[in-house]
Amino acid sequence: MAAEETPNAPGAAPAALDGAHAGTAPAEHGGGGGLPQFELQYWGGQIVWLLLIFAVLYLLMSRVFIPRLRRVKDTRAETIASAVAEARRVQDEADAQAAAARADIEQARARARTVAAEAKAKANADFAARQAEADARIAEDLAAAETRIRGLRDTAMASVGDIAVDTAGAMVERLTGTAATAADLRAAAKGAA
Amino acid sequence: MEAEAAKFIGAGLATLGMIGAGIGVGTIFGNFLSGATRNPSAAGGQFTNLILGAALTEALGILAFVLGLLILFS
Amino acid sequence: MASPMEQFEIHKGLQLPTVELPGGLLVDLSLNNSIMAMLIAAGLVIVFFEITTRRAAVVPGRMQLMAEGLFSYIDDMAEGIIGHESRKYFPYVFSIFLFVLSMNMLGLFLAFTATSQLAVTATLALMTFLLVLVIGFARNGHNMYKLFVPAGVPWYMLILVTPIELISFVLRPVTLALRLFGNMLGGHVALKVFAGFVFSLASLGAVGVVGAVLPLAGVVALTSLEFLVAFLQAFVFAVLTCVYLNDVVNLGHHH
Repeated sequence: MAAEETPNAPGAAPAALDGAHAGTAPAEHGGGGGLPQFELQYWGGQIVWLLLIFAVLYLLMSRVFIPRLRRVKDTRAETIASAVAEARRVQDEADAQAAAARADIEQARARARTVAAEAKAKANADFAARQAEADARIAEDLAAAETRIRGLRDTAMASVGDIAVDTAGAMVERLTGTAATAADLRAAAKGAA
Repeated sequence: MEAEAAKFIGAGLATLGMIGAGIGVGTIFGNFLSGATRNPSAAGGQFTNLILGAALTEALGILAFVLGLLILFS
Repeated sequence: MASPMEQFEIHKGLQLPTVELPGGLLVDLSLNNSIMAMLIAAGLVIVFFEITTRRAAVVPGRMQLMAEGLFSYIDDMAEGIIGHESRKYFPYVFSIFLFVLSMNMLGLFLAFTATSQLAVTATLALMTFLLVLVIGFARNGHNMYKLFVPAGVPWYMLILVTPIELISFVLRPVTLALRLFGNMLGGHVALKVFAGFVFSLASLGAVGVVGAVLPLAGVVALTSLEFLVAFLQAFVFAVLTCVYLNDVVNLGHHH
């Protein structure tokens, strides 16, 4: 650019070109538009230069500087977003692992419960079987004992008749002096019984 | 009356237009402030609108000012 | 004493040939102080962005942060006004903003403010206006009339509304140019007038020197105000460019 060409030769300008110049105030009665801004002879150059300068600035901005900044900002946003997503993913993973561990524990507990229930049932069954066996043995013993008792009682009852006959025979002899026949005695004992 | 004197008077009168712009800008900023103190959280988002309104209002005052200068220096 | 308008005078520098434009217009391409101010302003912008973004990193340095701050500020503003299509028009808005800002700021350091030349502001405003027109016709074709016929307005109101809309549309480049021009001109004239008070008071003697402190403080205060105005006017120019672009980009469907 021609930026370095500072106004080093102000006196070189042809005097014919510039109308009102420095020094005393050119205003008040200066010909055609008193404000320095309305000296139209300088407008063309300013406008053309402005358009040129702005075009260069715009091109540099839109092609170089803005893409650089935009890229940095987008990268930053991306980095942050991916970091957040990563953190969320890790969090989800941890949650899933925790859930799995919880399920494992639950399963183990259930298994322990079934084992315990099984053992209990087996113990109960064992116990019941042994009890039934014992009950059966006892009942057997009881039945044997009862039959023996019944036999003893039957024999005892059978002897009661003989004792009665004997006693009756002895009483009859003592009372009457004569011995009664055994058949009579037996019949009488039977009738008394 | 001298033309020179009339010119100065005219320039002075032209700049009176800035009064209205001053009142307008004051109204805008005053109302913004009273709104901002009521709801400070919404104030930040309205800054662009505030500047926009102030600029649009001020333009009329600037117009009067430029006109005054034009009269003064013509 | 020199007139406060002296600062706006154009002094010819390096003599360059006069060229003839296609329309038969003769244009003197000689460099003058206004063109120099523009060249320096644009050069500063380019140098600043070259330095700050040459090694643009995801984690920004101090310099890059400044460029990114400006970038984001205007980008957010443009996106807020135009919407998701703002990226296409952002380079223009950003270039205009930086160029105007740079010229305004230079005016407070150099002796010359390019934006206080009506030729400069009018060219910038007309360029924006023509761009809006071109984009408007390219995107909307014959639907451009909707700009002046707001939807949902009864016909008897249109008789009143359409001319107003038309006039305000045509006046846009005028106000755009005059706003920037007037602000810069007014600010610098006020600075010079106050500075003139300092000089004339101080030449009155000992009492005048003491009294001159007052306008001097005024000049300092005004200068700081001018810095604000310099930024604000550049921002306003960018905002209005966005608003005008939004009118034609999102014509008919308000987002």
